[in-house]
Amino acid sequence: MTSYKNRLLLILGLLLFAGCRDPFEPDLIENNLSLLVVEGYIEIDGEESRISLSRSTSLKTNDTIPVVGAKVSVINSSGENIFFTEKEKGIYTLTEFFNANASYKLAIVADGNSYISDPLTPIITPEIGELDYIQDEAGVEIFVSTKGNNQAQYFLWSYEESWIFQPAVLTGVYFDREEGQILPSPPNNRTDMCWGENIFPQIILQNAARFADNQILQRELIRIPLQSEKLQRRYSVEVKQRAINQETFDFWEILRKNSDDIGGIFSPLPSLIRSNIQAVTNLDENVIGYVSMGKSTSKRIYISNIEVSPWSVTVPEYKSCGVLRDTIPISQFANNFSGGNIVPALAVYTLRGELIGYRGAEARCADCRLRGTNQKPEFWED
Amino acid sequence: MIRVSLAFLCLFLSFSQALWAQESEEKITGLYPGLSFDRFARQIESSTSYTLFYDKAAMDTVQVNLSAKDNTLAQLLETILEGSKWKYTIDSKKRVFITYGKILNIELSKNFFEANAAVQSKDSIIRLSDLERAFSRNKLYVIGNPTNKKTATLSGKITGLDTGAPVFGAVIFERVDYTRGVANEDGLYSITLPVGRHTLFIQNLGGFVEQRQISLQGDGILDIAIEENIISLSEITVSSERMTNIARPEMGVQKLNIKTMRKLPAVLGEVDVIRSLLTLPGVQTVGEASVGFNVRGGAADQNLILYNHSTIYNPSHLFGLFSAFNPDMIESVELYKAGIPVQYGGRLSSVLDVKAKYGNPDKVNVTGGIGLLTGRLTVEGPIGENTTFILGGRSTYSDWLLDILEENTDFENARAAFYDLSFNLEHRINPKNKIRINSYTSNDNFRFDRDTTFRYENRNLNVGWTHYFNERMEAELVLGRDHYRFGIEGRDNEANAYDFGFQVEQDFAKVNFRYEMDPQHTLTFGASTLRYALQPGSIQPSGPLSIVNPDQVNPEQALETAFFLGDEFEVSDRFTINVGGRYVLYNFLGPNTSRRYEPGAPLLPLTLTEERSHESGEIINTYHGPELRLSARYILNNISSIKAGYNTNRQFIHLVTNNAAIAPTDVWKLSDPNIKPQWGDQVSLGYYRNLQVDKYEFSIEAYHRNMRNLIDFRSGATLILNNEVEQSILRTDGRAYGAEVLFRKNVGKLNGWVSYTYSRSLLRTAEDELAEKINDGNWYPSNFDQPHNLGLIGNYEWSKRFSTSVNANYSTGRPITYPVAKFNYGGSERVYFSDRNMYRIPDYFRIDASINIEGNHKVRKLAHSSWSVGVYNLLGRRNPYSVYFTPVNGTLQGFQLSIFAQPIPFITYNFKI
Repeated sequence: MTSYKNRLLLILGLLLFAGCRDPFEPDLIENNLSLLVVEGYIEIDGEESRISLSRSTSLKTNDTIPVVGAKVSVINSSGENIFFTEKEKGIYTLTEFFNANASYKLAIVADGNSYISDPLTPIITPEIGELDYIQDEAGVEIFVSTKGNNQAQYFLWSYEESWIFQPAVLTGVYFDREEGQILPSPPNNRTDMCWGENIFPQIILQNAARFADNQILQRELIRIPLQSEKLQRRYSVEVKQRAINQETFDFWEILRKNSDDIGGIFSPLPSLIRSNIQAVTNLDENVIGYVSMGKSTSKRIYISNIEVSPWSVTVPEYKSCGVLRDTIPISQFANNFSGGNIVPALAVYTLRGELIGYRGAEARCADCRLRGTNQKPEFWED
Repeated sequence: MIRVSLAFLCLFLSFSQALWAQESEEKITGLYPGLSFDRFARQIESSTSYTLFYDKAAMDTVQVNLSAKDNTLAQLLETILEGSKWKYTIDSKKRVFITYGKILNIELSKNFFEANAAVQSKDSIIRLSDLERAFSRNKLYVIGNPTNKKTATLSGKITGLDTGAPVFGAVIFERVDYTRGVANEDGLYSITLPVGRHTLFIQNLGGFVEQRQISLQGDGILDIAIEENIISLSEITVSSERMTNIARPEMGVQKLNIKTMRKLPAVLGEVDVIRSLLTLPGVQTVGEASVGFNVRGGAADQNLILYNHSTIYNPSHLFGLFSAFNPDMIESVELYKAGIPVQYGGRLSSVLDVKAKYGNPDKVNVTGGIGLLTGRLTVEGPIGENTTFILGGRSTYSDWLLDILEENTDFENARAAFYDLSFNLEHRINPKNKIRINSYTSNDNFRFDRDTTFRYENRNLNVGWTHYFNERMEAELVLGRDHYRFGIEGRDNEANAYDFGFQVEQDFAKVNFRYEMDPQHTLTFGASTLRYALQPGSIQPSGPLSIVNPDQVNPEQALETAFFLGDEFEVSDRFTINVGGRYVLYNFLGPNTSRRYEPGAPLLPLTLTEERSHESGEIINTYHGPELRLSARYILNNISSIKAGYNTNRQFIHLVTNNAAIAPTDVWKLSDPNIKPQWGDQVSLGYYRNLQVDKYEFSIEAYHRNMRNLIDFRSGATLILNNEVEQSILRTDGRAYGAEVLFRKNVGKLNGWVSYTYSRSLLRTAEDELAEKINDGNWYPSNFDQPHNLGLIGNYEWSKRFSTSVNANYSTGRPITYPVAKFNYGGSERVYFSDRNMYRIPDYFRIDASINIEGNHKVRKLAHSSWSVGVYNLLGRRNPYSVYFTPVNGTLQGFQLSIFAQPIPFITYNFKI
């Protein structure tokens, strides 16, 4: 409801009355507030748990600062430490089973300072009831339905989208620099069909207590607008559902409001964000992040183009793409194609069927690998 | 050309100081046989430098038959006019006036500028302009011939300045012994006074006080012209408020009449009461698209907005784009920033008293207008002899603006509609009793897609009975009901369909006496009671398939009762004090559940110790206390005065919002055992001076305010559908101080004002608030702390029909909280906020201009019309409303949002039948 309000009012301000939004960089006082940021979820059922540690940075920098070499552990009620291992820089993982009825703490030692979490009580997430989509005049909406219970009323969803897409110019050949000639693309390295994935998902939250029997029906997760290339061939999304406690829910809600709901005419004022992790060494040090524990559930669906057909696709990145007019004779292949900006796209033959040369295309238009990967994801089902 | 008109004469009177001079007499030679006087005159004019003024038709009978040789014109005229009653006069500028009967006296009487010993002294003729009116106020009239009697009787006629009609009931009095006389139906009065000097005051009922200086020597006559009526404010000019600035005992009062407001350039051409207020010193706003306004560093919910006794909770249309008062209905608007009259209370910062009309008593009038967004129509007039009415409405007539936008956006099905209606009636039962009915409703409806509809609505009705006990005492009893509600209909999908609703209803009764106890004391006293019934929020499933859990915050009831007494005490001619007080009693009533928390602990679910249910009508808890209203005025001299004031206020109903601007979907909350009433006081001091006989008005006021038990919110507070709101609030202290300077030119072709306001508004989490300390418990600027504000309003009247107005406004940018750091979370860059309101958005500057064109004044025309054309934000400056950071594709970017980022032209057509 609140988000509707803000959307509405922002739109009113923005559109109706000649309002506008301009990029603006205010002068900010530089400070080196380098707070520990903890993000993660501890799985209790033998799934991989991930805790990521980083530092907050100044608004002007583009660096991310992972916290490396930290000691991350879960402490059980008898005081035992179960340690995570650093898998990548700043990413700590653990695969373990925990008692769903016990209470644990997360301990972190980073850069010489110790931190400890509030007691964490695992919450078993109910299964996703329904993950489906509906098509309407504005596109496709993917929604989730689930049923909470008295222990699991607050839900957080994250998702990973993948889809097959094709570039504007399809070519089945490539210029092999070593051989100096044009060869058919090998099946495992095609440039005319790739998988794309979302990088910037939104946080989706819902409180089930608002509804009868803690039921959440058709909560919108993702909206695929008309003409999106996500549905050009086949699309898949895996939704991970986690039940969290109220404090964690509030944390995510503040996070969302502070970044997505801000600046409008009737937007709420920014709120301070809290953490369930406290510094032990320096009590005044603030930590960012809420770590929760429990068992998450996930579900995946596929949508093929045929199910939503007709579905036309417009990709802004492929604007003004096409096969170039000039035919590049065989002798000029190396000169033209070895740079990589132009790729061979269309063979030109004489009437007798002898190859004259290739017409080229810009790599950005013909090589899907520039915007995705041509390696089929492990989970992908055709 | 050759006609003597009175106006001409007056011009000569004032400009030709030098008189009949003989030095350069022209000699005339010529033959004038049997000519008409007209032809003769033309011949003289062509051959000499004389100009003749005469009545051609009247002089038709005069024949000229003479021959001249080196004669003077005087000699010729002497001959021509001999034997007739025509007389001639020649002045120094060689102008010749032919008059009938007596010689035109072109010489000012010797005493014209000083004491006049004539028995009769008419001041109505010379009172041609306001300037001269002020002059006659200070001029000494010498009346009568000295005799040996000790007293003398002054008599005369009191007439209206504009109409010349006798003013029945005008009171004439002096202030030493308070001798008084009253004008009868023919405007005739008589008053017996001791001989000597007096200052006479002439007052029409409820009108403006005129004064005359007299030196009474013997019986005599003084005719006086006065401004008849202050009630028809829309018709008269601002001048009626001049002097009052100096003389009125209250301070911090600002008045705008509808005529001034009409001239101000407005957004989309809608004459806007509340936006007009923003041009006055001490009134500020956090943003352009919000109707909420901040008075002297107070929050927007601390303003009591009254529309003919009705409390208007949401005075805005289109989510705050413009105010919901139909300009054709409005008489005047008064804003009390400091000297809040004793009969008003319940809000901390100000009282905005919007006075609507009761209709024209003479004939039925229809007025209306068509703007870009709305059309309005008002009918007013008499019903029978003793009743007048006014009915006005305003509405949007199309969604064309939205339709245009639809083409460029994906917001199809957006619809906006609103209207407001107002009906007032006044009935005079007899000269001593009067009944007034006031009603008002406004309704807004907005849908931005098919899924969600927002509505809000004000409905107000009250009946007032005014009774005049005698000349010195009157009373008014008002009974009424105010109602405000809003709702959101969510129709996202059938399973989630809901209706959200909020409403506040208040029934009130107030009785107000005014008693002129003796010439020195005027008492105001009475009582008021107000019963609140609040539905602070409810959500209901809509449709059979909806699984939304119905939920409702407990309805709240309370009774606010006040007794008040005020005395306007004229200690002397110069010194007046207003002493007043209110005693306010507030009962929070059942049915409800009250909660108790551990003493000395923050209000949290953990510290909750007791929950108790209360029966219907049971008093759950009571707050009571006095409120002071003190002010004093000392007139330094005829043109300047100083004033000082102190007042305190309590507020029992609070807007629950954590937005910078008031949103139309914010709910109100009553004080309960855990949420104490807001309390505030204000000390103010002012100096007022009028320059050049009231042509310019200057004032400076300084103030300091303290506020307690203000409401702020904890981080991440849930404000809607929260039964335990006290667990989300932070008790906060406030402090505001500043100074306001106003320089105003009231008369002349160029008029307007310049105002400068310095104002600070600071907040601090209360020391005993343990839940959270904003900015470590230090003072921090409130959201509307804008220290410097400069405003200019200029009108230039090119002619009676054509005028231009300019409005310029500068203010310091409002405080804002910027993030201090960023971090990655949930797949995106996020911001980390720390100290609140430590930065400011860029300064605000805007210029608007408008042209007002009146139609011609031909009597036969069907309708009298006028046009208003203008541009809002002429410079197109992109004044930021807010500056913020939001992730775009996972990376933070800074933005500024401007509401009216381009020049917005407007045109409005108004008519009157």
